[in-house]
Amino acid sequence: MTAAALPSPRRRSRLGHRVRIAAGLAACVVFLFPVFWMVLSSFKDQRDIFTMPPTLFFTPTLETYISYMQRADISRRLINTIIVAAGSGALSIAAGAMAGYALARIRLRGAGTIGVLILLSRGVPPIALAVPMFLVARSLGVTDKHITLILAYCTFLIPYVMWLMRGFFLALPRELEESAMIDGCSRFGAFFKIIVPISMPGLLSTLIFSMILAWEELLFALVLTNRHASTIPVSIAGIAGDTVNGANWGALTAVGTITVIPVVVFALLVQKWLIQGLADGATKG
Amino acid sequence: MSTVEIRDVRKSYGQLEVIHGVSVGIADGEFVALVGPSGCGKSTLLRMIAGLEDISGGEIAIGERVVNHVAPKDRDIAMVFQNYALYPHMNVRENMGFALRQRRLPRAEINARVTDAARILGLEQLLDRKPRQLSGGQRQRVAMGRAIVRNPNVFLFDEPLSNLDAKLRVQMRSELKELHQRLGVTTVYVTHDQIEAMTLADRVVVMNGGVVEQMGPPLDLYDRPQSLFVAAFIGSPPMNFFQGDVEGDATLVLDDGHALALPVPVPGEKGRVTLGVRPEHIHLANEGWPAVVSVIEPTGSETQITARIGEHVVRVLVRGRTEARPGETIHLAARPGDLHVFDGGTGRRREMAP
Repeated sequence: MTAAALPSPRRRSRLGHRVRIAAGLAACVVFLFPVFWMVLSSFKDQRDIFTMPPTLFFTPTLETYISYMQRADISRRLINTIIVAAGSGALSIAAGAMAGYALARIRLRGAGTIGVLILLSRGVPPIALAVPMFLVARSLGVTDKHITLILAYCTFLIPYVMWLMRGFFLALPRELEESAMIDGCSRFGAFFKIIVPISMPGLLSTLIFSMILAWEELLFALVLTNRHASTIPVSIAGIAGDTVNGANWGALTAVGTITVIPVVVFALLVQKWLIQGLADGATKG
Repeated sequence: MSTVEIRDVRKSYGQLEVIHGVSVGIADGEFVALVGPSGCGKSTLLRMIAGLEDISGGEIAIGERVVNHVAPKDRDIAMVFQNYALYPHMNVRENMGFALRQRRLPRAEINARVTDAARILGLEQLLDRKPRQLSGGQRQRVAMGRAIVRNPNVFLFDEPLSNLDAKLRVQMRSELKELHQRLGVTTVYVTHDQIEAMTLADRVVVMNGGVVEQMGPPLDLYDRPQSLFVAAFIGSPPMNFFQGDVEGDATLVLDDGHALALPVPVPGEKGRVTLGVRPEHIHLANEGWPAVVSVIEPTGSETQITARIGEHVVRVLVRGRTEARPGETIHLAARPGDLHVFDGGTGRRREMAP
């Protein structure tokens, strides 16, 4: 674009820039306001939550947190959720990344069909799988165990990881592995020594998304766990759906806040990796 | 170091055969260039030598050993790719030492060999940089360094200079030649650039459509191209061609009716032929083929004249300068030995009488 071709392109682009920033801010307000309101409400006492009109200024209290955390099952459920999210995230990344690599690189008759079939399995409504899974788990005697939930989550996480990572691997130049294989690596060696280190940003972002999916999953957790391995979303659903006492909004916002914090902290910790350039410098710049 | 024997090698993708039985013997220490237009199968052939592509038929031997089913890592070859394929997460030192670490060589020896290669290539100052911090030419050198630390039996190059700008390409080309003269390692070099092939190689293999059109020393290809394809492919600016029918002993009647008198009789049967003359082999004379000058392009050391014989465009390259001006009629002549005649049907060369 030349300066002469358009009337005052600089002013035009500056205006466009401002419009975009305004639109971005508006979107942030729309998406973040409920979160803000949830966090705010979690520090109110029961009366302040329902004042009309809603108040922004109140005496903050940790009462809801303290009273709710004292019930042992919240902290145990938090730990359960961490175990299950980490376990299913790690397992699905390990299996999904290798499967995605195979789909991206290995010439195999019917590879495309296999990939699509695995993806199609995600099209099955989870509710249709929940009951059979429960029956299987019960007959194996593994209901209410972490590993059961981890494996159940892998059924939808692995296809997800596989397809994301397949796209990622396809974007890497094939010559990287070929060079490694000439330099003395097997296919596995080239994958672990060259491809995995280069793909760290992609692997980590996929891992985070997988863990978030596992973190907030409700249906399988509700069906497959009972007391011992139950997760936080089950608690939230329990509070919200308490038909005897009515929803405890204070508790709901407090548990909601507790649920969000680890995800945010985790995302902040790995953001260095997330924004890092991918395979720059591997080949011609 | 080692020989490479390619015996009747074929490559098919399903029903489609793309390499139709290629045989090339490469001597120990020889530099062979595979050259041809894109899609001619030269890269596929190189990748089969490397073990990156399966061999559908025939066999490839490195040294005494047939390597058809040997993994790339066990062939003791080193390869430089067009896009260099440097490992982005490793610095130059680690990139160059990677193959040696794979072979679990002692750390001291790896260091010594990397330092040595870095010195040869002038990379000493860059050893701690990551590939993304290097210029194109430096990356190219690192890719070469990664190959030479291996001290392999065979070097394979897949269009290694194509991503460089013109000036750097010429510089790297002579560095590459010097490197080969110094190390003397058997080398197979793929390029689509005939000048690279001609300047670098001991022997050039011209490929077209999955077959070898001709192989031989560069100047043989230039002097006596065996087919129209090779004649057109080798040489820059390209050879002039005149299609026509032979009449009498030594007259070529072009399609637009113009007759060219040839200094010697056309060998073989009469009938349809293609006459070829290189621009640098045509000179201006007092008598000869009359042509009308259309463009004069001086470059100082030489001048390119574009002229027309009837409707035929002829390019002439003369040393120094010329008095000719656009619109003038000039007379063109060539020595008998510089004329190439190709059969009108097969496109194969007909040997002229000396």
